[in-house]
Amino acid sequence: MSRELLITLPALNEAGNLPEVLAGLRARWPSAALLVVDDASTDTTAAVARAHGALVAALPFRLGYGGAVQTGIKYGLRSGFAVVVTFDADGQHDPADIGPLVEAVGGGADLAIGSRALASGSYRGGVARRAGRAVFAFLARALTGLRLTDPTSGLKALGPRGQALFAVSRFPDRYPDADALVLARRARLTIAERPARMRPSRNRHSMHGGVGSLGYGFNMLFSLFVAATGRDLHHKE
Amino acid sequence: MPTRQLVVFLGLVLVLLLAILELVRRRVLRVEYSWLWIASCLTSVLLILRYDLLVALTELVGAVVPTSTLFFLCILYLALLCLHYSIRISDLTHQVKDLAQEVALLRVQLRDPPVAHPTIRGGVASSGDPA
Repeated sequence: MSRELLITLPALNEAGNLPEVLAGLRARWPSAALLVVDDASTDTTAAVARAHGALVAALPFRLGYGGAVQTGIKYGLRSGFAVVVTFDADGQHDPADIGPLVEAVGGGADLAIGSRALASGSYRGGVARRAGRAVFAFLARALTGLRLTDPTSGLKALGPRGQALFAVSRFPDRYPDADALVLARRARLTIAERPARMRPSRNRHSMHGGVGSLGYGFNMLFSLFVAATGRDLHHKE
Repeated sequence: MPTRQLVVFLGLVLVLLLAILELVRRRVLRVEYSWLWIASCLTSVLLILRYDLLVALTELVGAVVPTSTLFFLCILYLALLCLHYSIRISDLTHQVKDLAQEVALLRVQLRDPPVAHPTIRGGVASSGDPA
């Protein structure tokens, strides 16, 4: 198997969506390694993923989106993949959008983000989520000095340096969003953004969805503050 | 402080102190967690034997009765203990997360070893891989 491209999909109870998602990825990226991180699903997610030719990293208990996505990135880092792409298992991302992200990493970016805002006609979520995204995009811009339009996007491509940063134990492991970008900027990574079309998630319990709550907003604000002003991630007590 | 009170409180604190030491000796309580308890016991002993210190402390912080100072110290101590535990729990959360991820990554390797490793090949082959 080629060590060029790993596509990792954090999945929580996605047995229904995985066959189509994995088939779509396989058709578009025949030589890529596919790794489904099963976040302690209660359905047949792991078996379905294996049946459709993906590797499966089965977590012993639920870690949530950030912990699951980090598992896939750790796998890519240790196996020496040139590019690791994080891709949602619920079918909201389009395999064709991976191309520009991989090219961006090949062109020197350490982290390339698929942005809904840059893609015309993309599904952008409800009013609350769009408002939240705008706030965090503004804060991320203020804190990083970069024009980042979609910091909450789950579609990312990581080069080796990006993988190394996202794999650090103390990296934000709830929902690595705007705070992750601030940390990436502090670590002097090169960040790029490419358009990506998103479809509405078909799974109501989508890992990345349903978090448009007030609690999430406050957590992210605080996490942003910590990311911007906190101690170095590698600091040892 | 009346002698009866002094004996009762001193006895209680000494029993607690001995219990803590015994827990550490039996390795039920880890040494690094025991020092806070031991420190609180020794503080109690000091305040029981030297009641005038508690009175002086009461005047220093501006409290009216020594009892309030004592309660205040107790609450402060418990709050610090909670903070100490929160820090430990945060640390443990990271460690548990890392361990869970390690388990998941090892599971990938067991099913799909990247390269056949001489030391584990026999074990994996004999256990049989259904996939």
